Amino acid sequence: MTHILDDYAVSSPLRYRNNWLKLTVVAFGILAGVSSNSPFVPLVIAVCMSFATVYFGKVPAGPYFRILAAPAGFVMVSAVIIAFFFGEGEKLFSFEVLGFTLGVGSAGLNMALLVLARTLGGMSCLLFLSLTTPMIELFSVLKATRIPDSFIEISMMMYRYIFVFLEVAMGVKYAQTVRLGYKDFRTSFRSVAMLATNLFIRSWEQGEKLYVSMNSRCYDGKLTMLDEKRPVRLLEIVLTCGYFTLVLAVFYFTRGISFI
Amino acid sequence: MVVLETKDLSYSYPDGTLALEDINIKIEKGKKIAFVGRNGSGKSTLFLALNGTHRPQKGQVLYHGEPLKYDSKSLREVRKNVGIVFQNSDDQIFAPTIYQDVAFGPTNLGYPKEKVEKIVTDTLEYVGLTHLRNKPPHHLSGGQKKRVAIAGIVAMDPEVIILDEPLSNLDPVGADEVMDLLNELNYFGKTIVISTHNVDLAYSWADYVFLMNNRRVISEGVPEEIFRQTENLKTAYLKRPVTLEIYEEIKKRGLAKIKSCPRDIPDLVQTLRPQHLMWVDVPPEVKEGDTINLGILYGEYAMDSMYEAINCRVLHIHEDGLAIVEMDRKALRAGSIGIYDTSRYSHDELIRIISRDGIECVGAMGKKSKLIAEENDLYIHVTSGVIDRSILNALSGQRCLILTHGGMVDHAMDRIKCYMEKSGINIPVSVANQVTEKQTNHL
Repeated sequence: MTHILDDYAVSSPLRYRNNWLKLTVVAFGILAGVSSNSPFVPLVIAVCMSFATVYFGKVPAGPYFRILAAPAGFVMVSAVIIAFFFGEGEKLFSFEVLGFTLGVGSAGLNMALLVLARTLGGMSCLLFLSLTTPMIELFSVLKATRIPDSFIEISMMMYRYIFVFLEVAMGVKYAQTVRLGYKDFRTSFRSVAMLATNLFIRSWEQGEKLYVSMNSRCYDGKLTMLDEKRPVRLLEIVLTCGYFTLVLAVFYFTRGISFI
Repeated sequence: MVVLETKDLSYSYPDGTLALEDINIKIEKGKKIAFVGRNGSGKSTLFLALNGTHRPQKGQVLYHGEPLKYDSKSLREVRKNVGIVFQNSDDQIFAPTIYQDVAFGPTNLGYPKEKVEKIVTDTLEYVGLTHLRNKPPHHLSGGQKKRVAIAGIVAMDPEVIILDEPLSNLDPVGADEVMDLLNELNYFGKTIVISTHNVDLAYSWADYVFLMNNRRVISEGVPEEIFRQTENLKTAYLKRPVTLEIYEEIKKRGLAKIKSCPRDIPDLVQTLRPQHLMWVDVPPEVKEGDTINLGILYGEYAMDSMYEAINCRVLHIHEDGLAIVEMDRKALRAGSIGIYDTSRYSHDELIRIISRDGIECVGAMGKKSKLIAEENDLYIHVTSGVIDRSILNALSGQRCLILTHGGMVDHAMDRIKCYMEKSGINIPVSVANQVTEKQTNHL
């Protein structure tokens, strides 16, 4: 089975830490990253959060950077475009293409770097959350935020059956592949259509079976929430405060400073 | 006492397909019952009728002699007491974590939070899954999922537990663990009903068997009777259990006692006729009429055997050194079976017992004991069919130790005593770590 983000989260040791603390750390990181106008703050955040995910969260570094590479690739491309098309004034360098002058100005370059840094910072915060906090832990957080119970219960069941159907879908896809169901574009198209139909019917049936099995256990609209008490430890507070101070200090000293 | 009963029950699906026809069954309390029939014979549908999910068009279902009513309050009562474990665990386990799934039933029964927590913790420990409580179900193996599904039902403390094909898609050891669990539950008074098309399982395990075919119950009775009715088995597209098949064959060849009905391997061994005459290679100096000691002289003969062949009289010597000897056999040495209760586990004590009693074969029964053995790096010789295997090994002179816990200790003791009574062979059996004054058995 392929590894999905949730699998890392379930086996991460940070899973058993206080959810609210993790959420605070992540929210702080995103807010600080967005409100800073120098690229240093988001970069510091990115480094810290990546370190926390890989070192404390025990997420293997290879897959982590591969996951991070996807949004990073996108933002690199956008950064190049921003560098060329933003900002007036003196060009650092320029060249002509078909009579148009394309150039990179310092304002544009700064803007590009800022966008790049912010995206990386924000992504590493979000990845920290999703790689160390599995969905099952977030349900109790959702509950505490007073989202209606029915929503949470439906999302709990959806969460569970995503994996059941993922397994079915992969099985069906494999069965189709070994019988050359994806040999060219036309057959792939047909195979995918059949896969989708099959999954739809199966989910329908699964729904009925689920209803019977829940009824057999006297379902009356109550599901248990996992709410383990996880007190915040002193070391965690110290680390978090240290991190906050570092980010705030960088924020303060790099006000208005830019690379170029 | 009859817990569940049906009278002329017929049921057809909303699309008109007839699924059950004139079913009359009685399920007695505390029994182990198997519904045997091929796929599509109506077993699953019948089970869903028994807990009120399917409402029969004709006939009725009686719970403790009272006809089932189909209002939600009575249905709750029945479903609390008649728990169904579905064939496909994924149909049943829907909560994002194991803990939440097992807690589902007790929560619905309206128990306070602390009580739910205690029940779930106890149940998970009981099925040996405590270490997986916060895992999502898709990280579990098939056997583990099955045990979660059973735990979900056991947590509601039902009177009858119905399992639809409990062993489908399980490996032999996983299957054995599930059966151990069911035996233990049964030992503590739960009525266990299973459906299966595995005749060997039904034959060796069940107290009472219903044979189903084509929407009907075609025969019912104790397994010894049911599985001798070759014609009925043929109509039901089933075959005879292997033990019975082997027994019939060796009986035809005059090697087994007639008129027995062996249900497991120890039984089968018991039916074998002792050999009296046999061909033996003898050295040239032996003459007709001599008495020789086969067991000691020709040690290979009795190496793994339960008998020592002493004082064999040579009746006739063939030219090529083969002789016919008449044997007078007696047991070489008695094996024994010790039972170690792992709910009072102490590693040093166990090691002491193993070396003190010269234990040659250690078996672990039940998931909890297997986990303990694994944690403590104990080598386990037998992991499945532990009681039968230990009896067989003890018969051939080995000293065996069974690691098990709680109520399974008494269950194992009873099984072995039952064998001794049936066979007339005495095997020394004891609990290796007896309860001392202060300790009390927690189960």
